Amino acid sequence: MMTGMERLKAAINGTAADRIPVFCNLLDQGASHLGLPLKEYYANGENVATAQLQMREKYGYDNLWSLFYVGKEAELLGCKRIIYANDGPPNVGEMIIQKLDDIAKLQVPDDISDHPAFQEELKCLRILRREAGGTYPICAYVTATMTLPALLMGMEHWMDLLFCGPADLREELLKKCHAFFVKEVQAYRDAGADLLLYSNPFGSTEFVPMRYLLEHSMPWIEKDIAAAGTAGMVYYCGSARFNKVIDAVFQRTGIGAYYLSPLDDVAEGKQIIAGRALCCGTINDIRMIDWRPDKVRQEVKRIVLAGKPGGKFLFGSLLMPMAIPEENIRVMLEAAYLYGRLEEGGGANG
Amino acid sequence: MLEQIITAYNEAIFDTDRERALSIVSQAAEQGFSPEDIVFKLVVPAIEQMLASVSSNMDANLAQHFLTSQIAAEIIDQMIPRFKTAPEIVGTIVIGTSPGDFHGLGKRIVIGCLKARMIEAVDLGLNVPPERFVDAALEHGAQVIGISSMMVHTARGDNGCRAVRRLLQERGLEDRFRIIVGGAPYRFDEQLYRTVGADSWAENAVAAGQIITDLIREVKS
Repeated sequence: MMTGMERLKAAINGTAADRIPVFCNLLDQGASHLGLPLKEYYANGENVATAQLQMREKYGYDNLWSLFYVGKEAELLGCKRIIYANDGPPNVGEMIIQKLDDIAKLQVPDDISDHPAFQEELKCLRILRREAGGTYPICAYVTATMTLPALLMGMEHWMDLLFCGPADLREELLKKCHAFFVKEVQAYRDAGADLLLYSNPFGSTEFVPMRYLLEHSMPWIEKDIAAAGTAGMVYYCGSARFNKVIDAVFQRTGIGAYYLSPLDDVAEGKQIIAGRALCCGTINDIRMIDWRPDKVRQEVKRIVLAGKPGGKFLFGSLLMPMAIPEENIRVMLEAAYLYGRLEEGGGANG
Repeated sequence: MLEQIITAYNEAIFDTDRERALSIVSQAAEQGFSPEDIVFKLVVPAIEQMLASVSSNMDANLAQHFLTSQIAAEIIDQMIPRFKTAPEIVGTIVIGTSPGDFHGLGKRIVIGCLKARMIEAVDLGLNVPPERFVDAALEHGAQVIGISSMMVHTARGDNGCRAVRRLLQERGLEDRFRIIVGGAPYRFDEQLYRTVGADSWAENAVAAGQIITDLIREVKS
C-alpha cells in the first residue's frame, strides 16, 4: 500500500499510483476527537499533533495539518485576544492595527521559531515530523502578503486603506507583511512542513478586478514566491474562485499546485493548467453539513471524474466545518478512494 | 453629456479608481447637474449597473462592490442636504453581524448601497446579541432585520438568525419584521437562509438593496 507522500509525488510527477491523493482538512474536529473543549485543545501542540495523527489513521486520507487556526498569524504579530467558540474556529478578537498610526508600530519578529506564540505549533510540527515525516505530507498555512493585513486590521479597514488610503502607509504595511511572510515560510520549512497553502483571496477575481490583480496583487505574489521559492507551495484563494488567474500565476511564479474553490469548474481548471501543475478539485463542504450521504457520494464522483482524466489531480476538502456529520466525512472519503482509483500501471496519472 | 458622464463614472468604478469617480462627480456638479440628478441619474444607476454585471460577469467583484457602495454613500451624504426637498425614506433596516462574528465588511457595503435607495440603515455593529436585533427593530420602527455572518458556525448557530426568529415568534412580532441574511456561508449553500429561519438572503451587498426594498414594501403593504 502506498503512503500519502508517495501518492502526492506520483500525482505531481504523473507517475503510477494506486489512487489519486485525497486531502481531508479536519482541524477543529481534533478537539471533539480527543473530547476536549477547543480552547484547551489548541493550548497544547501535543493535542493537535495527536489528533491529526489519529484522525488520519482512522480515516485513511493522505495529509496532516500543522495549522491550529488562521488567527495564529495575528498572534505571531502581536494579537493577544483570540475568541473561542464551541462550534467553530477561534476568531481574532483584537485588531493589532486599529488606526493608521499603528502600522509604524507593527513589529515583525526577528525569528518566528523563537516566538512564544509559535511554540505550540513547533511542538506539533516536531511530533508530526517524528511520527509521519516523509510518509504523509505535513501541511502549513501561510497568508499571502496582500491578504495578511486583513487579519491585522480587519477586511473592512484593509479595503479602505487599499482603495482609499495613503499609498505610503499601504506600501509600508505590505512590506512588513512580506517580511513576515518570508520568515514564516522559513520557520515552517525548518520545522518540517512539506506543503505550504499560500492563501490569497486578493489573488482571485472574485475579490479584485483582473486589471487590479495584475497591476497590484500580482507583483506581491511574485515577490512572495521569488523570496520563498515554489517548493511545496499551493496556490489557494480562501475558497474564492480563481480559474481565470491560474495561467497568469503559473507563468509569473511557477507555482506547481492549485487548490481550486468548490465553485470553480474542475474540468476548466484542469484544462487551463494543462498538465503544467497539480490541480486540486474541492468539495463544497458547507453543503456537506446538510447533504444526504448519497448526495455526498455523487458530488465526489462528479469532481473526481472531472479531474482525474490525464492525471496530476488531487481531491480535497476546504477547512471542514465542525457541523459536518461524521457519516458524511466517511462517505466522502470512501467515494474519493473508490472513484479516485487508478488503473494498474498508472496510466491515468501519467 | 449626461451619458458621457455616466459612462466615465461607471468605468472609474469598474477600475476601482475612487479619485477618478469622485472627480467625475465634481465635474458634473460644476457643469450644472443638480444634486438630485447626480444621485438618481449617476450614482444609483451605477449600483444597478453593478448588479447587472454581477449576474453576467464574474469580474464584478468585492472590491468593485465596496467602492461602488462607499463612493455612493460619500456622494449621497454630500448631495442630500442640497436637495430641493428632502427625499422620502423608503423604510428602515437594523443591521449587524451575528454573535461571535467580527467581520463587518459585508454589512458596510450593504449600508452604502441602501443609502442610495433612500433606506435608513441602523448599524448595530459586530457580534450583536439576538435580543438587540429585535429591540432595535422595535425602537427604530424598522421593517427589516439584517444579519450578516461570515463563518459557518455564526450563520448556523443557535444564537444567530435562529434565535432572532425564535424571539419574533415568542413576542408575536413575525408580521412586523422580515429577516434577511448574507455572508459567505449563504453563497455556498443557497438554501441555508431557510434552514436558519430567515425570510430571504442576498448573494452580495449590491443585490441586497433590491431584496431589502422588496421586503420593506411587503411589510408596509
